[in-house]
Amino acid sequence: MAGGLAVSSRRLAALKLLRRRLVQAVPLILGVVVINFVLIHLAPGSFLDLMTAENQVSDPATVALLRKTYGMDDPVWLQLAKYVWALLHLDFGFSYRQNMPVIQAIAINLPATLLLMLSSITLAFTVGVAAGVVASMKVRTTWDTLVSVLAMFFFAAPSFWLGIMMIVLFAVKLGWMPVGGMETIGGNGGILDILHHLVMPTLALGLFYAAIYARVMRSSMLEVSQADFVRTARAKGLSRRRVTLGHVLRNALLPVVTILGVQMGTVLAGSVVIESVFSWPGIGSLLFDSVSSRNYPVVLGILVLGSLLVIAANIAVDLVYMWLDPRIEIR
Amino acid sequence: MDQSAFLGRFSRNRGALGGAVVILMVASGGLLAPALFPTDPLRIVAAPELWPGQDPALPLGTDSLGRDILAMLVHGARATLLIGLFASAVATIIGVSVGAMAGYFGGWLDEGLMRGAELFQTIPNLIFVLTIVVILGSTLSHIVIAIGIVSWTPIARLTRAEFLALRDREFVQACRAMGMGHGRIILGEILPNALPPVIVLSSLVVAGAILFESAVSFLGLGDPNVASWGRLVGDGRQLIRSAWYISAIPGLAIMVTVLCLNLIGDGLNDALNPKLRDR
Repeated sequence: MAGGLAVSSRRLAALKLLRRRLVQAVPLILGVVVINFVLIHLAPGSFLDLMTAENQVSDPATVALLRKTYGMDDPVWLQLAKYVWALLHLDFGFSYRQNMPVIQAIAINLPATLLLMLSSITLAFTVGVAAGVVASMKVRTTWDTLVSVLAMFFFAAPSFWLGIMMIVLFAVKLGWMPVGGMETIGGNGGILDILHHLVMPTLALGLFYAAIYARVMRSSMLEVSQADFVRTARAKGLSRRRVTLGHVLRNALLPVVTILGVQMGTVLAGSVVIESVFSWPGIGSLLFDSVSSRNYPVVLGILVLGSLLVIAANIAVDLVYMWLDPRIEIR
Repeated sequence: MDQSAFLGRFSRNRGALGGAVVILMVASGGLLAPALFPTDPLRIVAAPELWPGQDPALPLGTDSLGRDILAMLVHGARATLLIGLFASAVATIIGVSVGAMAGYFGGWLDEGLMRGAELFQTIPNLIFVLTIVVILGSTLSHIVIAIGIVSWTPIARLTRAEFLALRDREFVQACRAMGMGHGRIILGEILPNALPPVIVLSSLVVAGAILFESAVSFLGLGDPNVASWGRLVGDGRQLIRSAWYISAIPGLAIMVTVLCLNLIGDGLNDALNPKLRDR
């Protein structure tokens, strides 16, 4: 009975946390939108002139329609209000290059990026945590040194360079891996084919974060193992192994989870570069194409939606954090 | 803090010392670039795609156009290091100002400023930099400022924490009792005491900024007039089948430089907090 009650009160607490985080997200989202709006207005010349020139729109009727759509003749505050209103309806404008609404162009490319991010974070988390645990349990041994050296290396190596070097070694020289893309062209696809293409981009993006998590996990494990409750557990007669894996590990994970949440935005940004290296058909490729062709609506749409993605991921991380650490109460 | 003890602790850290030596070499190479390689590094000097060691006069070989890779690398060191330093300076100025105000005054100002920091942490950093660059134009100063704008939040958080810890100490209270203004207390009294850990963090931000700039240049979106290391990696990218060394060498230079800057940062950190060293 007591167990059931505890579970339902935890669920209630999680719901409360979720609600509070959602409320807190509103000013953040508004801030992102305002920054976006400011960027549009910082553009030299009229945003509209640039856009029509880049997309070779010269038909006066279309220009007039665009002026009206973007409310170029309204006072600034009204333009901002209209912009917010449009975004609320997921109206990010129209991309002439893809000939579809911006939101649709982004939606087509989003799954590939999410897949790459998810696999990279999973790799970084498992490898980083495992390496950190090994280093802390074998502190000041060859294992510890090996983990430190590898972490230093991957923390300093530019991800795009690591990616290119992997292509040289594993794709060009050894022929084990595809050079790029997400599927074999003309192949019959399938999950295995996609996974095969996913290996190198995941390593190139994820190893940098694995290095960070390994270092944080190592020092966190060493710190938690000094805590009183660990001494109590040892004094109860539990084996060192059980104390480490059962008590220390769970608590030592907390700082890693915190960093994971903070870095969600940089992981998304990092995937932009990696996608360019491996011709991965995601948001990064779309962004790169849009930046090169100065397709502003898509660039700004990616900036807003990318920030929303980060906010959502942060809320998810908060819930994981709460699940890991029962001491955290709803304030 | 005792300065000689600090230097002693730093120099006993072999990694940090080695890092400092390498960075000094890279920096002096960059500074002396016009003397070492007085001719334009983008000039064609030999046959294209000479491998390193093939011609003793060109120890690192030539690129796809027959330009001297070593000359480009040394000239690129200048650009890369300067961009890293300036971007870190921008981040430090923003971060220290925001963190000092938030920590010293507290209250709604603190709340507002920290929410702002959270906002800048939410926006995916590279996407933000690319957006600024594409809208305002791809010049060196825009790139430096944009990198500074996405890198200041950790410095602001640290400065805020230092100010929170120091603002109610006796010496600050004494200054207040003497009728000193807020500006003088912040700049003259608290800031000098809060600065050492902030400077350590700034040195790590230099490393981050170099990685950042190299990614922007690698994508071909850097200042077209500046041949930084990231751009050299990007230039060699099309030739990885026949001449992968063209991309490998400048990338190695980025990695070694960033690694050494991180070692220096770690060494400074350990020397500042000797009690934490064995963690």
